[in-house]
Order: sequence, then C-alpha cells, then structure tokens
Amino acid sequence: MSCALIVGEVRRGIFEERNLDTIGISSLLGKETCLLIPDNAYTISEKQVDTIIKVKTDEEAFLNPLNLVGIVEQAMNTYGKPDFVLFTHSSSGMESAAYLSGSFGLPLITDVSGYDKDTGAFYKSYYSDKIFGEFRCVGQAPYVLTVRSGSFKEFVAEKATSPKIEFIENVAVNTSRTFIEYVEEEKTEIDITKAEFLLSVGRGIGNKDEIPNYEELAGLLRAVLSGSRPVIDKMWLPKPRQVGTSGKTVKPKVYLAMGISGAFQHIAGMKDSDCIIAVNKDAGAPIFQYAHYGIVADMHKVRDKLKEMVKG
Amino acid sequence: MNILVFTKRVPATQEEELRILGDGKEVDLSKLPFKVNDWDNYAVEEAVRIAEKTGGTVTAISIGDAESDEVLRRAIAMGVKDGFLIEVEKVLQDPYARAMLAYNFLKKENIPFDTILTGVQSEDDQFASVGGILAALLKVPYSSMVIGIDNVENDHLILRRELEGGLQERVKVMLPSVLSIQSGINEPRYVSIMGVRKASKVERKVFKAKDYEESMSSLIEVVKWVYPLKKGGATMLSGELEEICKQILGIIKEKGVYQ
Ligand SMILES: Cc1cc2nc3c(=O)[nH]c(=O)nc-3n(C[C@H](O)[C@H](O)[C@H](O)COP(=O)(O)OP(=O)(O)OC[C@H]3O[C@@H](n4cnc5c(N)ncnc54)[C@H](O)[C@@H]3O)c2cc1C
Repeated sequence: MSCALIVGEVRRGIFEERNLDTIGISSLLGKETCLLIPDNAYTISEKQVDTIIKVKTDEEAFLNPLNLVGIVEQAMNTYGKPDFVLFTHSSSGMESAAYLSGSFGLPLITDVSGYDKDTGAFYKSYYSDKIFGEFRCVGQAPYVLTVRSGSFKEFVAEKATSPKIEFIENVAVNTSRTFIEYVEEEKTEIDITKAEFLLSVGRGIGNKDEIPNYEELAGLLRAVLSGSRPVIDKMWLPKPRQVGTSGKTVKPKVYLAMGISGAFQHIAGMKDSDCIIAVNKDAGAPIFQYAHYGIVADMHKVRDKLKEMVKG
Repeated sequence: MNILVFTKRVPATQEEELRILGDGKEVDLSKLPFKVNDWDNYAVEEAVRIAEKTGGTVTAISIGDAESDEVLRRAIAMGVKDGFLIEVEKVLQDPYARAMLAYNFLKKENIPFDTILTGVQSEDDQFASVGGILAALLKVPYSSMVIGIDNVENDHLILRRELEGGLQERVKVMLPSVLSIQSGINEPRYVSIMGVRKASKVERKVFKAKDYEESMSSLIEVVKWVYPLKKGGATMLSGELEEICKQILGIIKEKGVYQ
C-alpha cells in the first residue's frame, strides 16, 4: 500500500497535539494516511486520516520501542509496506524511530522540519538551527522520519469520508524493558505559566553568581525569573522555572530572553508569547527569528543599564 | 559492571557565524573552537559514577578524526579507564552508518559490555539516534532520555526517562542494554588542564574505521547545506545602550506589564 504509517503518540489517555505534525507531513507527501494508535484513547477528529489501526494494548506497552517494532512489523505484514513510517520528534518518537531503523535497516531522518515537494528533499536542522541539511533517502523504503512539532500542522487536510477502522490484536510484549510508573514534577509556589512578564536567562549568563543580579532586575521590573535548560540543569534555578518542551510552555505578555540562543526545544515553549524581546551578543542567534524585538549586546551591560534606569 | 560510553568532539557554534562554502557542499568549520559534546559529558559522568558505586570499568569510545583523542583524554581525566578512537577519514552524516561502524567494531574486537551509554544527541547534527540504532543492531533493550538511574542490579537497572512538560516515567531495563543520557542527570565533575595532561599518559588505542566498514552503507545523504529560511524576524533595536534600554522599558510599559 502506498501510504504513510503514522505512529500516534498517546500519553495518559490524551492524543498529543504534536501528532498533527505527522498527519500534516503525510498530507504534504500526498500519501494515504494510516494512523496506528493504542486502543484506549482516541480523540482525533474523525476525518483527518484515511485509516486508523487500533492496537489492542495499553499506551505504555505501545510506546515501548521493543514492542513498537513488533507492532509496526505486524501492521506491515497485514496491511502492506508503507512508504513512510512517521513519528513525532519527541522523547518516545526519537527512541522508537531509531530502534525501528536499526531493527530493519531503514533510512532514518530525525527532526524533519521542512519538505520540498519538487525535489523530494527533507530539511533537518544542524547546529541548533544555524544551518539546515537538505537530505534524501537512498536506502530501501519505508523511510522513517521524526517530525518537529509545530512544523506541519497547517497541512492537515480533512478527508471526504470517515476513516476505515482496523485492529491489531495479540501484540507480543517484550519483558526486557517494562514500564513501572509515571513520575510527576514537584509543585512549587511560583508558576511561570501564570506570569505576565518573564525574564528568562540562558547559558549566556555565564555563571551562578550572576543569578542574584538577574533576580534583582526581575524584582525591579516586577517580572518572574525563568530560564533555558542549561541554567536549570546546573541547578542555578529550580526545575519548575524551565521554559521549553521538557519544561513549561508559557505565554506571557512579555518574554524577555537574555543569553538564550533559540534552540527549537526552547522556542517551542515560548513562541506564542505576545511580545518577545531577545538580547544576545550573536547577531546570528536563531532566537532573533522568533523575537519581535532584538538587541545585539552583552546581556550584563543591558542588565546594569536597565537597573540603573529603573532605580532612577 | 563493564560500561562503554560514546563521546564525540563537536564544533562550538553557539556564538559563531557559520558559513556555507561553494554551492552548498560544505559548512566552513575551519575557524571554530571544538569541545566535548555537552550531552556526552553527562554520559561519561554517569558511567564513572556507576562504576564507582558498583565496581567495574568504563571505556570511552569516540568515532572521529585524530583530534578526537582530546575528548578521550578528557573522559580519562574524569575517571574512565581506557579510550578507544575509531578514526574515520570523512564525517559519516548518516547515523545508521555510524551505528553500524560502532556495531562492527564491538563485534570484531569482541568488546564485552553490560551497558552502553551515549549522550541524548550530538550538538552538531542533533540526530539523537545512534544509540537506538546500535541497540537494535545488538538486539538489546534501549532507553533514551535517561534523567535518573535509581537502582543498579546485576541483571537490570531501574531508571527514569524524561518525557515532555516535566513528566517522567520510571522503567526497568534488563542488562545488557543501551541508554542515552539526558543533560541534568548529574553535575559533571570539574576536570583541570593538569588532569587532562596527566590522562595523556594513559594509553589510548586507535583503530581505523576502514577495518570495520563491512556491510556499511549510508541510507540517507545530504544533498546540500542551506541557511535557515528567514521568518518574520525581529525589529532590531540599535543605538547607545541607554537609548536601547529606554526602548525596552517603553515596550514593556506599552504592553502593560510595567509602570
Ligand atoms: C530532548 C531535549 C529536550 C530539551 N528540552 C529543553 C527545554 O525544555 N528548554 C530548553 O531551553 N532547552 C531544552 N533542550 C536543550 C536545547 O536543545 C538547547 O541545548 C538549550 O535550549 C540551549 O540553551 P541556551 O540557549 O541557554 O544555551 P546556548 O545554546 O549555549 O546559547 C547561549 C547563548 O548565549 C549567548 N551569549 C553568551 N554570552 C552572552 C552575553 N554575555 N550576552 C548576551 N548573550 C550571550 C550566545 O551567543 C548564545 O546564543 C532540550 C534538548 C533535548 C535534546
């Protein structure tokens, strides 16, 4: 069958919104779309795909790469070989896509964020979005892609008819990796998702001793201090202050980003802010593509000047 | 516990302007500083911590040019016992080809392991897939985005994987296995230049990639390199620092978040 097989991501019963990007790219590829999902959850609009294959298993077993490889194989044996197998570029998508590629020797391109219909090339980011590679697959199909969230959802096309529903039963469960439980993040008093004004600092801050200086600035401006991942990894700010895919998604009125380069995992968490102001000493920093206002300067100098002016 | 850890030398591009050469065939990296891939630092640290706790040895492996010896020395300075360099003549863009090279090497040299650690991704190509492909080739379980190892037993590990939005999952993984290590799992120890120098005295072994290229072919290829498409882009504020800061304050006042 000439189709794109979409591996749907369901977490705690919810069909993740980022699946729309895999559905979107399959429309763009001009393929019949066949969505593979665990049986327990299904909240997708009825007409976004041609076929849904419901897998009789729970979501944790489904997203385990060791099982998923068997499930995809079963789908291929029953319904024919697809041209593409599509995953979201998420924690589980990356994991399973790589394992699938290795298991069957399939070409793999990850973090795909663009596609050129005329040349058939896929665009993939290098060096945190400073350069992109135009890739093509030379090995045997199916081609395995992981798709960057937010890149293709506008291409989701409504179908004329409701999807055909198929089932996969008797899934083999591998016991060499097993799910135990979900672990929630601790709750804290300050919730950055509620702040109207975030002052966010990145690796450009340099060292821990600088944090109090930015806390002071945030206090003066009545902003809440948040950060990019490296600042949280080093424990200079607590984890609930992390903005990005593996942190929080925020949408303040103003997001003032200082010393943050603009990796997509960060951008994904703040791009819908009303007004983004970025300070970075590198004029080529990708964050300037997403900011409304940009300042090429040393963040510490900007901080000192702002403090001086606010204090009067 | 025998632990292998993959570590890679990458260009530090965060503060650099990158130029594409010719008609898109090459990116000019000639003037860039190089460093250890950030995520691999966490992987090396985690490997050393496991060995310190449970006994056993850690061996660092790097696929790269001769200069990658630098990252092996750094790993040794952090507590790794041996360093193996698989020296390649040209960069392998395809993660499948890279994983196959690592697989052929481990098989041919008969290198024993209980677990293999890699960083979650390389800073340069961001494929985030060599570990997963290698695990599948070795037919062992794989876990990516490992943000905590809660328990190490003889035959299994209990670990936490990072998902999105602050959520994690706890899983049990039987050994042998391959894990990709996420940043923030630990605080990599400080290594002094002296320590790196001292590590030069520990023997590192160099292997030639061409001896392990059997059944290796690229399944994907780069047609060319391009600059990112310009999106809307920011209005750049310019002038003296004072003038710029006045504008910033003006904007935040206008947005109603500051009086
Ligand atoms: C699975 C996964 C999940 C992730 N989740 C997240 C996430 O939730 N949030 C997140 O932020 N990242 C996340 N990341 C990490 C992400 O890929 C980047 O590594 C990270 O966002 C980079 O942070 P940064 O911009 O602060 O640092 P860098 O990329 O190192 O950039 C630092 C910037 O500071 C600038 N700078 C340096 N000094 C100064 C100065 N004095 N003045 C002004 N500018 C200066 C530099 O020019 C540079 O642009 C994730 C990665 C992975 C693989």
